[in-house]
Amino acid sequence: MSSKLEIFNALKSVAITPQPMPCFNIAPRIDDLVGQFEASLTTVAGTLHRDGGLTNLQATVDEHIAQGMQVISMVDGIKGNREVTATAHELRDIDYAVIPGDVGVAENGAIWVNNKNLGHRVTPFICENLLLVIEAKSIVANMHQAANLITLASGEFGTYIAGPSKTADIEQALVVGAHGACSLNVYLT
Amino acid sequence: MSTSTSNVHAHKAEIFCRDESRVDWHSKALWALREKRDRAAGSIPEWEQLRQIGSEMKLHTLTHLAEYLEEFEQNCIKNDIKVHWAKDGAEHNRIVHEILAKHQVKKIVKSKSMLTEECHMNPYLEERGIEVIDTDLGERIIQLAKMPPSHIVVPAIHMKKEEVGDLFHQKLGTDAGASDPLYLTRAARRHLREQFLSADAAMTGVNMAIADKGAVVVCTNEGNADMGANLPKLQLHSMGIDKVVPDLDSAAVLLRTLARNATGQPITTYSSFYRGPQDGGEMHVIIVDNGRTDMLKDKILAESLKCIRCGGCLNTCPVYRRSGGYSYNYTIPGPIGIAVGAQHDDTNSIAWACTLCGSCSYVCPTKVPLDKIIHHHRRLKAEAGKLPYGKSSYMPLVGKFMASETALNCSMAMARTALKILPGSLLKPFSGAWGKYRELPVAPNSSFEAWFKKNRG
Repeated sequence: MSSKLEIFNALKSVAITPQPMPCFNIAPRIDDLVGQFEASLTTVAGTLHRDGGLTNLQATVDEHIAQGMQVISMVDGIKGNREVTATAHELRDIDYAVIPGDVGVAENGAIWVNNKNLGHRVTPFICENLLLVIEAKSIVANMHQAANLITLASGEFGTYIAGPSKTADIEQALVVGAHGACSLNVYLT
Repeated sequence: MSTSTSNVHAHKAEIFCRDESRVDWHSKALWALREKRDRAAGSIPEWEQLRQIGSEMKLHTLTHLAEYLEEFEQNCIKNDIKVHWAKDGAEHNRIVHEILAKHQVKKIVKSKSMLTEECHMNPYLEERGIEVIDTDLGERIIQLAKMPPSHIVVPAIHMKKEEVGDLFHQKLGTDAGASDPLYLTRAARRHLREQFLSADAAMTGVNMAIADKGAVVVCTNEGNADMGANLPKLQLHSMGIDKVVPDLDSAAVLLRTLARNATGQPITTYSSFYRGPQDGGEMHVIIVDNGRTDMLKDKILAESLKCIRCGGCLNTCPVYRRSGGYSYNYTIPGPIGIAVGAQHDDTNSIAWACTLCGSCSYVCPTKVPLDKIIHHHRRLKAEAGKLPYGKSSYMPLVGKFMASETALNCSMAMARTALKILPGSLLKPFSGAWGKYRELPVAPNSSFEAWFKKNRG
């Protein structure tokens, strides 16, 4: 008998009476979504740039490039100095990655990113610093609303990113910058 | 079971408690997490509603597991994900090794998965010539120190930064005497980047498996799962059968409570959904039973499978905080460790490493009735004739004694008199371990029965 069959046979004797699926009727907090989002983003060590949109972002990118940084942009209208590489591993020296976010979540500052816009899936993790772009109208109140809006087609990868990578594994001291990006700046458009 | 064995919880805890200042430090560190959790939970008005929904949704899934697992597998196949089934840890390890051997993998980077710990996968693969690198910082620290995890979310919580500094000095060549967490974390970042970039395969655990999408969700703060899984072409994910949830909505409920209850964060930094391999890559999911279906056959134990491994119950547990993760004889310590591990405990003492205070059940984001489960384990041990040493000899006598009104009244009268007239130093030895850190009680003037007759009778 295959292990799958063995497991399924064993599952016939689950002792709990079958339970119905509960209703998820949670009222969203819809006041000042951008303000909520900004406050949440701050608690997860990210920074929101509310004004200036892509112009502001391009100016920042130009500054980084002038300082000799390697910048890759996956956002239309933002020009970096690096293109998508043949292999994911070649992104190891990227200082800044500019990436479009699809949905922002006000309750926790997370931004949904889909691999369609990443070049390589590893781009937002391997870069030293991450610059995310999100439209103000794409910010929703909570994870329930976000679940209805995110796209994840067959074969795709998507991730909610809430702040730069961090760890507190050494004596509970919070250190920003573990394996992923060491900083996160979000630009609102 | 001999009392001299150090595997009995009370003895292991006693060893841990010898260094009083370290115990205080350990307890405080965990309590800080509990306080952060309270603040995070309190900041969401619908917190209790989320706990209720989380609990009901998990119960619904557990009582329809066959359907959801079948649906999950079918959808995975549609997404070009290869699915494997393992009835126990040995089969899980064999499957993993077969996949790795087929791809001639020499080095695999792993993100924290308590399931692979449960299956003892690392030594199995290492014996077969495969280098396994744990990539969560806490996991890497204890791997370098050749220790098991002592907590399910912060596995190196028992180590001081100076000890990590010494370890990194020896293993990673950091400066001698350096103990600054930022400096040490940066050194680990550099070291582990090299590992990610040179690994042939990656393996992660699974926080949730979404049935209607055929996708797995992996949550980390460090980004290690994603640095791992998205660099090499081969990615493996191990999951218990209890990890499946019906849909994205259900996953959203748990994503709202998981990090808040674990560390007080509104969500983990990365919550990643893998719905297929990268271009030209291969993705495998190994679905593991390893005793879970047995637990489902017991109405009370079954509820422990609602657990989403946030570690909240460990942080709040007064026994865990003051006895350390290594006193539990199981990969998973604390209340949830007792709930899922007591049946494997040869010393039969772990089910008693609990005061039944219920704090764990109170903080649990999916309402696992941990104290009820632990109490149930004691009953199961008693019914199986496996009470821990001591309890098996005196508990039946206590039972008989309590059942006899004459014997009880007579001896309680004697005890009241003794407490009044004899010095404490003479009586204290009779109280055993109970009296070790307690003063003897002040004896009342009469028995409760006499008081009741006089005042209420």
